[in-house]
Amino acid sequence: MSNSGNEILDMYLYETNTLLEQLDSIVLAAEHVDSFSEDDVNEIFRIMHTIKGSSAMMEFTPLMTIAHRIEDLFFIIRDKGMNIVAEEHRPLLFDLMFQAIDYFRSEVAKIENSEPFSENIDTFIENINSFIAKIQQEPSSGAPAAASAPAADASSAASADAAIAGFGTDPAHPHLLHVLFDEGCGMENLRAFMLVTSVRDFCADEVFTFVPEDVETNPETAEFIVENGFLLRFINAADRDKAIPAVTASGSVKTYQIADEAVPAPKVEKTEQAAPAAAKKPAGQETAAPAAAPKAAPAAAATPAPHSKESLISVNLSKLDHLMAVVGEIVITESMVTSSPDLKGLKLDTFTKSARQLRKLTDELQDVAMSLRMVPVSGTFQKMNRIVRDMSKKLNKPARLTLVGEDTEVDKTIVDNISDPIMHIVRNSMDHGLEENTQDRIDAGKDPVGEITLAARHTGSEVIIEIRDDGQGANYDAVLEKARRVGLAQPDVEYSQREILNFLMMPGFSTNIEVTEFSGRGVGMDVVKKNVEDVGGTVVLSSEPGRGMTTTLKIPLTMAIMDGMEIAVGHSIFTISINNIRQIFRVSSANIIQDAGQKEMIKCMDSFYPLIRLRDLYQLKEGLDNVEEGIVLWVESGECSYCLFVDELIGEQQVVVKPLPEYVNSYNIKTYGISGCTILGDGNISIILDVANLYSAAQGL
Amino acid sequence: MANIVKEETTVTDQNMLFATEEDQEDELRDGVPEVLTEKYLVFHSGGLLFGVDANFVVEIIINHVITPLPIVPDYVSGVINLRGQIIPIVDFRLLLCKPHQENCSIVVLNIDGVQLGILVDSVAQMVDIPEGSILPVPTSGNSAQKYISGMCTLPDESGTLMVLDSALLLHV
Repeated sequence: MSNSGNEILDMYLYETNTLLEQLDSIVLAAEHVDSFSEDDVNEIFRIMHTIKGSSAMMEFTPLMTIAHRIEDLFFIIRDKGMNIVAEEHRPLLFDLMFQAIDYFRSEVAKIENSEPFSENIDTFIENINSFIAKIQQEPSSGAPAAASAPAADASSAASADAAIAGFGTDPAHPHLLHVLFDEGCGMENLRAFMLVTSVRDFCADEVFTFVPEDVETNPETAEFIVENGFLLRFINAADRDKAIPAVTASGSVKTYQIADEAVPAPKVEKTEQAAPAAAKKPAGQETAAPAAAPKAAPAAAATPAPHSKESLISVNLSKLDHLMAVVGEIVITESMVTSSPDLKGLKLDTFTKSARQLRKLTDELQDVAMSLRMVPVSGTFQKMNRIVRDMSKKLNKPARLTLVGEDTEVDKTIVDNISDPIMHIVRNSMDHGLEENTQDRIDAGKDPVGEITLAARHTGSEVIIEIRDDGQGANYDAVLEKARRVGLAQPDVEYSQREILNFLMMPGFSTNIEVTEFSGRGVGMDVVKKNVEDVGGTVVLSSEPGRGMTTTLKIPLTMAIMDGMEIAVGHSIFTISINNIRQIFRVSSANIIQDAGQKEMIKCMDSFYPLIRLRDLYQLKEGLDNVEEGIVLWVESGECSYCLFVDELIGEQQVVVKPLPEYVNSYNIKTYGISGCTILGDGNISIILDVANLYSAAQGL
Repeated sequence: MANIVKEETTVTDQNMLFATEEDQEDELRDGVPEVLTEKYLVFHSGGLLFGVDANFVVEIIINHVITPLPIVPDYVSGVINLRGQIIPIVDFRLLLCKPHQENCSIVVLNIDGVQLGILVDSVAQMVDIPEGSILPVPTSGNSAQKYISGMCTLPDESGTLMVLDSALLLHV
């Protein structure tokens, strides 16, 4: 049970987060035109309704309350049109919406981390209420649903007969069961529908009816149920008695009573039932709510959403990884079958034909499986809209964000990893890039509104993301002076512009003396650089004084696949990333120089590099001794550059990187330059070498 | 094999016990009404008989290519590619400080989610061992006993079984 409860929570969080993102973009777009279109209002109304409903199901009361108030607000706007909000009140409305989005986000984050809610929502509710009052000019009707709920409840409790009478009569189903829900539990119609569903478990469909009948599809019935309660009619009393356990087991049922229409007879007010039910509510939340929610959550999402042209489904990432693994296996197995030694010398026309067909299909399958992990960068880009908007207001710098190529697709892991760096760069551009005053921009002959462009595009195996601003650009002299002051640059060396810009990305460099709200919190461009390098990418800065600055991120499409060079030492096969290889050549023993410590060096391109023999480093039993028989790879990574001696090259291959099992990683093989492994076409395993770690391991010997 | 869990065997009739060895009789416990038994996989390594709880056993494979890893200790033979999964292999003979032998079987274990293969000389059979018949090991700290949590005589009295403590394998 607890397990399915978690699934429901996951679904709730996913759904709510998606809705909030949607809401964010709607409000942002609306703020641009300073009005909500009819579609926007309907959409916001729907989103709030769904959040209210699902929050109520999960018993997240503060979330439900606020969503409910905003729903009320947009109910009014939907009813009376956008004109009801006077021009001067509109910024307030947008701010209110952003506040609400932020509030929901922070509360949802709290749910994710299972922290308690911030209980103090009164001021916020007050803000919404006063805004509603402002646009209505008659505060009393500002809260129709909330106000009427307790009133209706009291009246229905007082005169239950009258309430039942309000349903009309149905001679065919004379035995009545009248149910009242907890006050303010929200989504009464859906609760009623769930009740009906659970009653169906006990009684056949034909033996009972219920009023109102369209609870499943008509959200308006919620109000009716709040006022009059919910009525179940049964043909005979026995069925009704069977249904009572279902009613008592349902969450949020405040009280129920049974009555018979034909005989105006004993109404049994089950107060002793009602009391435990009410008392049970706080404690029984966990038990009652999850039981109710599986049916309720999809219903809540489906009911008010005729829009739902869902062509997307969310899939657990681990399932995708599993799929990738299986597809990889199929590709290998396919080549094992078609190149099986048993087939040698046989002339099998049909087999060859089918095998070719199979190869085509497996290739296609592999492509599709790969593409599943690819997601567009638009999600990350859209988030920047909000940052630009907020900072633009705070810093009083008018700015707009232009997005180019948002549909560009990148591996999911990479998208997650570049979100923070992009955010940081955008903040930097807003804070330091754009001119302090609008007047400065006008004087420079630029559009007073600053422009930040986020562009993404593909080039073969890389995706390139550019963050461009049209601000003042970097001040080379200031940067160089600062670099000299903090000791990153030598005092009397001339630096090229590019070198100067690279100082910006060094640890311990921050041109901004003051720590502002948005940047300069010690998290600088060096962290951006590191994050991007973690996913195998590079950062390049370029700047033109007075014209703005461009940060370019070059990122590989996926981390899971790399271009590798297969090399062999004895019978062992290793893979080295092609990106690390500078040159491959043969040497004569005359070119090898030994230093005092018996370490070998080699001369290439007028410079000496250490020679590392992979066989000696890994103490392999097999392998060549004579340098002239084998081959030398000149490899480079970051600071280190050296030559690696191996027996032979096998060839270049795209490989799928797999981590080594934890068990062998515990032997510290990573520090010896073994970073992972990959499965070759014939099913054998090749070990992937990390050039940098291999060097430090060799130095340590 | 992994789904073979604890099973109850009623020891009333001699022939009912140990279906694989029906001709063997188990007179010792004859007359005991009910005994809980546990399935163990018996294998040979370095001339000794070992048993590992069948709940940990995923599968047994033979003649698989092992890719050796550099740097790691001798007893880690390397890794294998088992249908796309990379599984580390430990040579059980070397763990026991016995010389390595070619032509081995690999018993793939899943120990609390960690997959590990052990190289053994040969796999013998599955046996049901009654709970409580596993006796403690006399302490004498030799390397073979490091991974043994108990000993017991095989039900057919064909030998003495060393019961492997799988969890200890992960912390060699």
